[in-house]
Amino acid sequence: MRNDVVDNTKLEDELLDLVAEEAMVDRAVLARDAKLEDLDIASADFVMILMAIEEKYGVYISIDNELADLKTVQDLLGLAVKKIAEPDT
Amino acid sequence: MVSHRVVITGAGAFSACGAGADTLWAAARDGQSGVRETLFPRLNDQKVKTAAGIGEDMLRAHEVHVRPRMQDRVAEFALIAADEAIRQAGLEAGGLGDATGVIVGSGFGGAETLDDNYWNYTVAGTRMDPMCVPKIMTNASASWISMTWGATGPVYCNSTACSSASQSIGLAYHMVKTGMIERAITGGTEGCVVSGVFRAWEMLRVLSPTLCRPFSRDRNGMMLGEGAGILVIETLQAAEARGAEPLAEIVGYGTSSDAGDLLRPDPVGAAKAMSMAMDDAGIAPGEVGYVNAHGTATVANDVMEAAAMREVFGDAFGGVAVSSTKPVHGHALGAAGALESIVTLGALRAQLAPPNLNFTADDPKVGLRPVVGEAQAIETRYCLNNSFAFGGINASLIFGLPPR
Repeated sequence: MRNDVVDNTKLEDELLDLVAEEAMVDRAVLARDAKLEDLDIASADFVMILMAIEEKYGVYISIDNELADLKTVQDLLGLAVKKIAEPDT
Repeated sequence: MVSHRVVITGAGAFSACGAGADTLWAAARDGQSGVRETLFPRLNDQKVKTAAGIGEDMLRAHEVHVRPRMQDRVAEFALIAADEAIRQAGLEAGGLGDATGVIVGSGFGGAETLDDNYWNYTVAGTRMDPMCVPKIMTNASASWISMTWGATGPVYCNSTACSSASQSIGLAYHMVKTGMIERAITGGTEGCVVSGVFRAWEMLRVLSPTLCRPFSRDRNGMMLGEGAGILVIETLQAAEARGAEPLAEIVGYGTSSDAGDLLRPDPVGAAKAMSMAMDDAGIAPGEVGYVNAHGTATVANDVMEAAAMREVFGDAFGGVAVSSTKPVHGHALGAAGALESIVTLGALRAQLAPPNLNFTADDPKVGLRPVVGEAQAIETRYCLNNSFAFGGINASLIFGLPPR
């Protein structure tokens, strides 16, 4: 259990790097509670982020309601971690 | 200004559901999906594994007027559908002449030829097909139709992504209505279930890895399809003069552009297209009994389309049957509006609204419960078909029962 927690933190850090790069946002302003809207992360950036997640983690995530409803950076990380953990996408 | 009544005297379809307009209608009515496992050897680690594609065996079983070295499969689809429509219209003798135009759209044109030859050139290191250009060009299908039946009137190939076919039919309707031509062979064709195009759609994250569920809360994307739908349309006068039996009348067409975002649809533009079609038809929203929705099952389209319909139909919205039949024939892009017009004709003639497959739960953001389960009886003179394309291009067609 403790290992899982550690792993997720590392994974979330990796994901933050990925989001910063793909959405072209300064990593320093990518606070977990920051609103995606305020960071100007729009649907076209989502497509780039999801593509990078597929390349790095082998998980295909299409745009569904859950994704469309994300508000904060933490929401995005939570969803990505959940989808990466799912056995078969 | 001259204004003719425009009737449909022939319809032909070729899709993953099989050959024949009646076959397509029966599949939609009975909820028999043409979607199947689709694997491309060229794609490493393919994530989405289903599509409503047309297999080689099915194509060979129905091929007509084939020129193997000169045609991509997209033209073969168009010729199969056109042959059916033209026979039904009683015009198979050909020699259609200057009074007949061909207005047939496509989004991707000869996609398989492009895919194979870029692969050959860049990966396999083998020679390219010298006939690449005439096989790939988007207008090839329209030209093959004009050549096959001697239609020497105007030929147009409208390429407006997912509105290609509906706009083609709309343009043809205007041309016949205003007396520019007497008759048109019109519709759309698409042969896009090939590895490169498939992967391009996968990259956009709008293909569902599971099931196509239009308007459902758990929808997560579209299912790619392909095929061709062709109509023969003509003035009522011309049809009567040769004793041809109209299947239906095209009574209204509306088209608009969002002039906003390239990808994100706008309900204002979509509502405008539907309202224009109703104004053109001279009917009130409450007179439309069924809407074959664009209903791609992407998050954005279905919210937008429901909002647009709510705006246009107002108090009558509760009384209109709505479904998307894309889970049956897939999203055939440049052929979508033609295949769906043929389903809409089937609905009008049978007075049955086909079901919207795979719907599991209401989405409060959509606020629309489509026809689920069995086909639903309707009592109406008019049915509407919507198509909305990337690029913000909206098109709505209204079909009416044949003139009495």
